[in-house]
Amino acid sequence: MPDAAASEAGAARAPSAVLHTLLARPEFPALVFLLLLAAVFSVTTRGFFAAGNLLGIVEQGVIIAIVGLAVNQVILTAEIDVSVGSVLAVCAFVFGNVAMEYGGMVLPLAASLAAGLLIGAVNGALSTYGKVPSIITTLGALFVYRGLILLLAGAQVLNVPKESRVLGLSDLAGVPVSVLLLAVLIVAFYWVSRNTAWGWNIYAVGGNESGAVTLGLPIHSTRLIAFTLSGASCGLAAAVFLGQIGQLQATAATSFELRVITAVVLGGTSIRGGRGSVFSPVVGALLVGVILNAMTLNRVPGTMELFVLGVLILLSVSTEGLRQRYLEKKL
Amino acid sequence: MSSRDAAAAALRAAPSALLSRFGRTGVLAALFVVQIALTSILVPGFFSVWGLFDATRAFVEVGLISLAMTLVIITGGIDLSVGALLALVSVAIGFSYQAGLPLGFACALGVLVGVAGGALNGLVTTYFRLHPLVVTLGTFALFRGIAFAVSDADAVSSFPDWFTVFGQYKIYNFVPVQLVVLAVFVVLFWLLLSKTPFGRYVYALGHNETACRFSGVATERVKIAVYSLMGLMVGIAGLVHTSRIFSARGNAGFGLELIAIAIVVLGGARILGGSGTIWGTVFGLLILSYLQDGLSFAGIRGDFGLVVIGAVLILGVFINENIRAAGK
Repeated sequence: MPDAAASEAGAARAPSAVLHTLLARPEFPALVFLLLLAAVFSVTTRGFFAAGNLLGIVEQGVIIAIVGLAVNQVILTAEIDVSVGSVLAVCAFVFGNVAMEYGGMVLPLAASLAAGLLIGAVNGALSTYGKVPSIITTLGALFVYRGLILLLAGAQVLNVPKESRVLGLSDLAGVPVSVLLLAVLIVAFYWVSRNTAWGWNIYAVGGNESGAVTLGLPIHSTRLIAFTLSGASCGLAAAVFLGQIGQLQATAATSFELRVITAVVLGGTSIRGGRGSVFSPVVGALLVGVILNAMTLNRVPGTMELFVLGVLILLSVSTEGLRQRYLEKKL
Repeated sequence: MSSRDAAAAALRAAPSALLSRFGRTGVLAALFVVQIALTSILVPGFFSVWGLFDATRAFVEVGLISLAMTLVIITGGIDLSVGALLALVSVAIGFSYQAGLPLGFACALGVLVGVAGGALNGLVTTYFRLHPLVVTLGTFALFRGIAFAVSDADAVSSFPDWFTVFGQYKIYNFVPVQLVVLAVFVVLFWLLLSKTPFGRYVYALGHNETACRFSGVATERVKIAVYSLMGLMVGIAGLVHTSRIFSARGNAGFGLELIAIAIVVLGGARILGGSGTIWGTVFGLLILSYLQDGLSFAGIRGDFGLVVIGAVLILGVFINENIRAAGK
């Protein structure tokens, strides 16, 4: 990745050059912001800096981060996926029903992953080979799947048996399984993004589409895989989500897509595509988690959440616009 | 080809796109007649002249918004924030009235909030050179968030009787007043889009933004004007909505953006910009609204409407993009 190479070369340069290369890391500003904010809240907000609370933030952030890792790839290809809230709900519905019927962990997870994979693939196929812009495909999907869930699960009470809640409840040596799962996913995404043709094509397709076409890169299949992963990640996140809360309502995960997109763009991935890092959604998810958590602790009413997410999205995409102007001037 | 030629070509292409669209409007009109006939046969009790006429009251709001959405989509943009902005307008009217503002001023304030919200979308989009889809996704959360925060999940329903005038009054006890408002705006938008230079700029912008700018059109101003106009229509729709349901609450207008975009797309506007007509949108509005009306008459749950509209949206764009591509 050009970003990583630049930061290694920059280490030996003058301080201003080091600062410049650090600033050029997509997730760097968000990381600084995250540490600052955590420090401020630790001092000002009672109960913030406690092991239980911090663990709670991480566990909530894990779901955003799992889906964020995949949506990040979609946004890197200069597309968007706003359907993940409804897809997560559909997957959770599938997971819950299979778990109630057959129990265990493997079968529900397989069913939920398959459902997510299928939905993601349909979204992807429509958005690439079907020539429907991804905002239309995924906006339509957001309402279609939410409508289906309301129709199918509106009156249903879903209680998931304990043995199927491993991903949300268990821990290994004090570390929640969901956090370990996320760690594995981060490593996997990092490896794939640096060592496979698909990982490199993601940046090429998003950074300069006509260039990618000229080079003969498979732009459609690159994007199709990203959308499919996005769906599958909802299938996985649904297992963690249901594992944590144990029951499902038809309105579950409403506006979850906004949390995910906020996390991705806040983490420094350009909404224009082509620029960003695998760590962006993770840093962004923690940042969103910290902010929402501090709001709860300070008794800010829950009705403010959408307002805060909106401000965060607008601020981060605007700074992205400003950053681009600054870099253009430098050149 | 120089960029000036390209610009001229883009400007020349606009009227021919208009002409070719007339064929499509005819198809839509025929589709509408067939739809009404079919629904009348299949759903007992659906067909009555009075009933069909009275049903228009419910879709004037989305109609007003679709008119402006047509312009937004012709420029190649999109506005995902209209449902949230409608809620904000409604809450602004209700809660400023509750706080002591005379209702007339509260209504004016509501419409102003709409214009300001639309202008914000336009300004952020042009100043930061961002795609309107991200900007309006952000303001979608922002507007809805402010509406929720201000109303604190509460509602205002204690309006004086005269407030019914915008959404419940019927002229000669027959014509709903908001239907007249919609008709006037249909004509105004048709004139604006097909008879004025501004309308030509809107098409040219959607065809080829760079060429349009190089031919001397202040593209950023056109964009800001289009989004502000969108805001104005949301403001008026919000006023009608609040008067019709006689209540101001933060969850108003849920999914409205989806319906409005689906209507415009069904009316034949390409989602990538450059084509679309007001009459296409009018028939899109009629078809989709009576489809919903028919579904609810048939006793099908409202949630199913979400599924249908989402599917119509995706299918509409799919057909627009693929049939047109095959025809070329």
